[in-house]
Amino acid sequence: MTTIVVPILIGLAFGWSLHKAGLGKYHKIVNVFRFTDLAVLKYMMSAMVVGVSLIYLFKGLGWLTLAISTPVYALGNFAGGLVFGVGMAAAGF
Amino acid sequence: MSVLTAKPQETDIPRRENWLVAQIRKPQWSPYAAGAMLGLTVALSLLVAGQMPGSSGAFENLIAYVGQKAVPQNIYFKFVMPPGITWQVWLLLGLFLGALASAWLSHDFKWRHVPEKQWVAIFGPQRWKRWTVAFVGGIILEIGAGIAGGCTSGLAISGGVQLAPAAFLFIPGMFISGILTALVIYRKKY
Repeated sequence: MTTIVVPILIGLAFGWSLHKAGLGKYHKIVNVFRFTDLAVLKYMMSAMVVGVSLIYLFKGLGWLTLAISTPVYALGNFAGGLVFGVGMAAAGF
Repeated sequence: MSVLTAKPQETDIPRRENWLVAQIRKPQWSPYAAGAMLGLTVALSLLVAGQMPGSSGAFENLIAYVGQKAVPQNIYFKFVMPPGITWQVWLLLGLFLGALASAWLSHDFKWRHVPEKQWVAIFGPQRWKRWTVAFVGGIILEIGAGIAGGCTSGLAISGGVQLAPAAFLFIPGMFISGILTALVIYRKKY
């Protein structure tokens, strides 16, 4: 249940929102890097604003103990981002 | 008189479409609205499942089956991304189905071999070009995600909502090289 149904449901909502934002399309992804269509940025920032608010609300209510599970290795995170951006801008994924 | 039988004039009024149905049918939402939906999804995912949604990890978990067979001593597939039908793999399946449902219901679904907008105007309609760039670009993207520890969703957004420093190192890196790559690819058409 929690290992199969829950991720599928979360994925459904995730995929749905991605498509509704038009982010399945090549030009939407590339144009954020050309500053002609900032949908990707708007989508990311909007998600973060809502996400941060809710997560810290849940945390404040004691429903969630927050353990940052994303490891920090400054150079790797940044360098990985640099490599990632090349692929993203080229392929438009 | 029954109330149920007493509405013959309803057909004269143009039927107002249900708001929810209209939103479902809409091919595109405001990116702010769609983003808010993702923010809600990420928060619920953390609350309900204690997991962060990400999409690049699933590909690595799947390809690890091949990778571990081919190079058994590989550390990455042994420890970092071991093979398995993980939580992320199911999420990816749902992600695909969710996007498919959205495309289908908004009549946006179509088999496309080459992105018709922008790509054709700049690179031409040849299929091999698009497929080569998509394939190579996809490999670069996955390598980058592997080094950084996540992609736009798994690291930038899911990490960002927890205010993880890693996300805020990744995002500038991604935009710096993305902008430079777009500059190089588009040159004068930038």
